[in-house]
Amino acid sequence: MNIQDNYLKNKKNIFFTENEDVENHRKKLINIFEKDRFDKKNNESLKNVNLKNFLDFNYKYLVPEETSVINNNHDNSYSIVSVNGQCASFKDDKIEITKILDEDYNDFSKNDTIEKNDHFVNLNSLFLNSGFKIIIKKNNNIKIKISNIITDDDLTIFQKNNYICEDGSSLNLIEEFENKNNSTSNILNVIKLEKNSQLNHFLIQDNAPDHNLIITTHSSCKKDSIYNQKVYNFSEGYVRNFHYSELIETNSEADLQGIFFLKDNNTSNNKTFVKHLAENCKSNQVYKGILNDHSKATYFSNTHVDQEAQKTEGYQLSKGILLSDNASYFSKPELKIYADDVKCSHGSTIGPIDENAIFYLRSRGMSKIAATKILISSFINEELSSIDNEQMSEKIQKKLVRYLSQVK
Amino acid sequence: MNSETLNTLDSYSKNKYKYGFVTDIDNEKPKKGLNEDTIKFISLKKNEPDWMLEWRLKAFLKWKKMKEPKWANLNFPQIDYQDIYYYSAPKGFDKKPKDLSEVDPKLIETYNKLGIPLEEQKVLAGVAVDVVFDSVSVATTYKGELEKLGIIFCSIGEAIQKHPDLIKKYLGSVIPPGDHSFSALNSAVFTDGSFVYIPEGVKCPMELSTYFRINAENTGQFERTLIIADKGSYVSYLEGCTAPKRDDNQLHAANVELIALEDAEIKYSTVQNWYPGDEDGKGGIYNFVTKRGLCAGKNSKISWTQVETGSAITWKYPSCILKGDNSIGEFYSVAITNNFQQADTGTKMTHIGKNTKSKIISKGISLGKSQNTYRGEVSFLRKADKARNYTQCDSLLVGNKCGAHTVPYIDSKNNTAVIEHEASTSKINEDQLYYCRQRGLSHEEAVSLIVNGFCKQVLQELPMEFAVEAQKLVSISLEGSVG
Repeated sequence: MNIQDNYLKNKKNIFFTENEDVENHRKKLINIFEKDRFDKKNNESLKNVNLKNFLDFNYKYLVPEETSVINNNHDNSYSIVSVNGQCASFKDDKIEITKILDEDYNDFSKNDTIEKNDHFVNLNSLFLNSGFKIIIKKNNNIKIKISNIITDDDLTIFQKNNYICEDGSSLNLIEEFENKNNSTSNILNVIKLEKNSQLNHFLIQDNAPDHNLIITTHSSCKKDSIYNQKVYNFSEGYVRNFHYSELIETNSEADLQGIFFLKDNNTSNNKTFVKHLAENCKSNQVYKGILNDHSKATYFSNTHVDQEAQKTEGYQLSKGILLSDNASYFSKPELKIYADDVKCSHGSTIGPIDENAIFYLRSRGMSKIAATKILISSFINEELSSIDNEQMSEKIQKKLVRYLSQVK
Repeated sequence: MNSETLNTLDSYSKNKYKYGFVTDIDNEKPKKGLNEDTIKFISLKKNEPDWMLEWRLKAFLKWKKMKEPKWANLNFPQIDYQDIYYYSAPKGFDKKPKDLSEVDPKLIETYNKLGIPLEEQKVLAGVAVDVVFDSVSVATTYKGELEKLGIIFCSIGEAIQKHPDLIKKYLGSVIPPGDHSFSALNSAVFTDGSFVYIPEGVKCPMELSTYFRINAENTGQFERTLIIADKGSYVSYLEGCTAPKRDDNQLHAANVELIALEDAEIKYSTVQNWYPGDEDGKGGIYNFVTKRGLCAGKNSKISWTQVETGSAITWKYPSCILKGDNSIGEFYSVAITNNFQQADTGTKMTHIGKNTKSKIISKGISLGKSQNTYRGEVSFLRKADKARNYTQCDSLLVGNKCGAHTVPYIDSKNNTAVIEHEASTSKINEDQLYYCRQRGLSHEEAVSLIVNGFCKQVLQELPMEFAVEAQKLVSISLEGSVG
């Protein structure tokens, strides 16, 4: 079934079909799909993607029966359960949670500075069927944990979430994705950081082999704001992590980091993109990957420095370890620089585990497997030790141990 | 900075583009445009055998179906292939002169202006020069000495006549005519270029060199160079270009193929100084070059060194296919863009054999309103056990209206291969500048000195004669745009 038919058939389940602006935008999107038939050759971001699964899909969505629960634990921490991409509304003097609104949709579709040439984001806009909006009010310091739960098999979730951190606020956001069914979720997070705000965003991904997760983040940072993102991908199913950050006012920072652990026939596509549009901003993009068996990964990183963005510091680092003959890793660290007073660099390495280090450990009586495991742990130690949440740290350690137990 | 560089800077600041003159020689041209008749005309003029004409026509058929590659970060108006002359030879060259005295004196004068007096070079420099002036080889020197060693160094036209076996075997074997539209175009209409064959075990005693020069207006130059180094041989090849000042854009689409067999080594150095257009970005050469080397045998080595200062558009990716076990590929590049120049250049290292090694050092300098892109691909295929790559690409920005971009593609399919890539982009270090200024250098001299230091890693890879010329070129290219 082509995309247009699929859309028309399932219109009743899709958000904002009555809004004229939304419909006009969707018409444009359908046109794009008709014209550009997912040309793999000229679009590297589609490398290793099994397109058939994502284009020829059976649309299925269930409205959750039980609305999700929000607990206020009196220590400024909230835990949210999002079921099939939806959660209940909530309001107190610190935060406000509502459904996503059509004006949020139009806000996003009309924003010209955002990288729009992304088919999966377009699919998300077209089939949008869930999502919520969280506002952190001025000068509050808050922790939120979101568990993303999908209830049934074969569901296709198209979810748009908006986060707004108002002036001077600070948010610690932990998102968990631990689903055992074979559904597909396509999530777009739109994050706005107002003046002097900070968001520490952790994404823990651990889905079953048949579960597909496509997650895209668009964050924009105003004056003196900081966006930190850390992605931990232990999924056995396909995961696509595409994260864009725009530094639109001075003195803002973006730090996009990720580690992924792949095995069997799994693939993962990763991209980070930082756009420096104002002076004195800093950015950092670091991704590390460990690939075993027949797994494949791609990582695209991109630093774009506008002509106005003098005194920019932008760094990129990509490291990959291949544990098996059949694994493959593709990385493309890109720099596009139009300002002269900048410090930008990128580094990229791909290779096996250092043989000398293995030799060192083996000569001290360790088995080869034990040595390998120690070296893998140390490779990502920096990312793990920086977690200050004990509960989360333990959880990730467990997942790491599980992954390492299958390394031979 | 030494006084020599200062003097050169001084002399160059007085005359804007030294090589911007036109030699008035009658040109014999076919009609404008590209069709089968044009190709038949070229083939007839070059007195080629039928199989060559057939090869050209096949390439032309492929070209007709192809579109220009779009990956490069370049902006230029659509090329009208029907508005170009595809052949131009100075008159009276149907019969080749036997020695220099028979050559048109005006040509000799041109070379004198360029600073490469043939007579003098023949005697003093010890360099055999196969000069290409508007598509036809004018004179070939030092042939005798090379012949004694069994080295074949001639124009590709001559090689088609005299060594059809080698041409049939190797032409198009590294760059297939259907690779992309520029290689197909070149295969269809190439007019001249050099052919080098180094026999087994021979180390070529001198640097072979060719000077290219575009002369006639609206004539695309389609050079085809083929270098074959047989087992255990060595050759170093120099290529240098200057072009006269023109307002119309001139198209240049050369193909260079290198083949290194077992234990052979080829060193290919280029200094490119085509006319880059004036201060407003008007005119200049469009340079679409395909250069590819095949390390076919074990322990072979191919090394590319390039200094790119000219051309309005540079589209060039000298690459190595490392097929033989233990083979080595190297790429050293300096690319300087000024005013409205655009360069999209880099390399491609494809590791196929075991223990293959490659090294990439690229230095980009952007000035004025120019755009400078490094685009390189390193790929390790499944069987490239223990392969190794090191890539370093640095960019320097001078002024806030230019752009420097780095686009590396890194692909590893082997878990014993190691790849390292690093890149940095920055402006000229203020401390270094301050240090130089304190010691009495002017701002421009200081920048020139620092940039030369920045490029040194690449420049030192050039053969002696070229290194001196390249250093001067670097200084000249910076002129007028700093401070």
